[in-house]
Amino acid sequence: MPAAALLEIIDIRKSFGAIEALRGVTLSVFPGEVVALLGDNGAGKSTLVKIVAGELRQSSGRVVYDGIERHFASPGDAKAVGIETVYQDLSLCTNLDVVANFFMGRELTRRVLGLPVLRDREMEAETARALAAGGTQIPSLRTRVEHLSGGQRQAIELNRFVHWGGKLVILDEPFAALGVEQTRRGLETVDRVRARGIGVILITHVMAQAFAVADRIVVMRQGAIAGDLRTGETSPDEVVHLITGGIERIGAAPRHVQVQPEKGANA
Amino acid sequence: MPPEPSSSGAGPRRYRPVLAFILDNLVWLILLVALTAFGLFIPKFLQIGIFLNILEQSTFVGVIAVGLSLTLVAGEMDLSVESVMALAAMLVALTFGTGGAGGGLELHPAWLAFPVSLAMALGIGAAVGALNGLLVVRFEINAFIVTLASYIWGRGLVVALSGGRSVYGLPDALRGVAVQRLLGVPLLAWVLIVVYLAFAFLLAKTPFGRHLFMIGGNAVASNRAGIRVARNVILAFLLSGMLAGLAGWLLASRTAGATANLGIGMLFQAFAAVVIGGVSLRGGVGRLSGVFAGVLLLSSIQTAINVMGMPPHYTMMIQGLLVLAAVLLDTAKNNLRRSYF
Repeated sequence: MPAAALLEIIDIRKSFGAIEALRGVTLSVFPGEVVALLGDNGAGKSTLVKIVAGELRQSSGRVVYDGIERHFASPGDAKAVGIETVYQDLSLCTNLDVVANFFMGRELTRRVLGLPVLRDREMEAETARALAAGGTQIPSLRTRVEHLSGGQRQAIELNRFVHWGGKLVILDEPFAALGVEQTRRGLETVDRVRARGIGVILITHVMAQAFAVADRIVVMRQGAIAGDLRTGETSPDEVVHLITGGIERIGAAPRHVQVQPEKGANA
Repeated sequence: MPPEPSSSGAGPRRYRPVLAFILDNLVWLILLVALTAFGLFIPKFLQIGIFLNILEQSTFVGVIAVGLSLTLVAGEMDLSVESVMALAAMLVALTFGTGGAGGGLELHPAWLAFPVSLAMALGIGAAVGALNGLLVVRFEINAFIVTLASYIWGRGLVVALSGGRSVYGLPDALRGVAVQRLLGVPLLAWVLIVVYLAFAFLLAKTPFGRHLFMIGGNAVASNRAGIRVARNVILAFLLSGMLAGLAGWLLASRTAGATANLGIGMLFQAFAAVVIGGVSLRGGVGRLSGVFAGVLLLSSIQTAINVMGMPPHYTMMIQGLLVLAAVLLDTAKNNLRRSYF
């Protein structure tokens, strides 16, 4: 593992009014590493990645990315330094076509009399190339996304982040709408991204996906890290116990987590 | 999941581009049918003069409909356009008018009145537009409420400024745009055409236009993609205000003055034109070519009723029915799209 972490989350806390969604989370991600983030609903996974992606601001704690402490004011800021995010609820404009969505916020332009003008043909060609490289077939790139299936939409999002690259990719349940074959392809995509030295945080509910692709499995429970384990050194059973809180804390979790004392089943 | 479901066999697929084209340009087809019908049944309707008149008459509603469309595409709306137009017209008339409540300001050389009055009209429009935008974005007040308030206080200000009196007698420098012709076509009509071409280009071919559609379609996704949503929305309101200011300036020039109730009812005509033109009130959908056809359609009906010598209130009834028909048509179009695309 390389010495320098790509992303270091240090003692992040986040409160929404009286509710403490994150209670001191510390986590790092290295270049070319896939970290699967697991946890029950409401464990704080989405809140955590939204902070890293610049969509939410933490109440306290630090986010160090690429060796520099970051204070993202918007998702645009995070994107500008190479953090790509694929959200659970799709981030597509279904009223527009595939090409427009692929280049959302990064349109290719040329200057005509000082005015930026869209280069539609170039964008269409590049989208076609990127989708073909990702093995996705969409009949017409000029189709509005609302006329596409859930799987096709997700494929656009996945291909979008692969194409734009960046240094860190956050995938928030990216395969939720996918069929078996498409999920397999999606996992291959994650593999390819890792091979390019990009760090990946993969949020998922599906144990098999985590074990199939992740280098490390991090379990969150009630706003804190319940376990941080190398994939090869753990088992689905152990992870399930961590998720449900039926086991003492294992691994390099930085902060003690309250667990129910009556359940003492050790790994 | 089967790979890439082909939507509905090979038959309809061949006609899809044709069908899509017809659906996208349905308003133009309706306009063509209406004009043909008027030409067949109304004597003396088929004249160049009448068509130019329709075009010229469309200018004021047409220009404010562009601003309304911009804000609707971004998922907002701007009800203030009519009052901003009246406000701009009244300010120009009060400053330069020679009769009634007019201040009778004279500039040397006299042609200076032209750019100065235009700058005033655009300036007041930009100011109200920016205020609307800021209230919507910074204070997160619903655009309907914000611009309804502007619609009301704007008209109130027009009445207050004029003291209820009318203004007449504008200098020739200001009248030019309303009376001159270029290549046999009234300048007002040229202005309308140029405004539509420019803003159709802005919406379809520039990142700003595309981002407005994205914001109207999915503001959260736009923000996540790094698009500066607040800035773009404020800009849309600002442009809408400036267009209303321009319409007011043209209207003052055309009527050679201003009255306290100048342009009342144009908001609803603009709204009707925009809806008939296929702009969705839910945001993210619409094209200015459709809006242009919608404006021309309304104006044609008005002209036809005038030429036939029917009482003008029929115009309003027909326009109201047209709006309903347009919405129904839109639903039908969407159903058709869903089954064929």
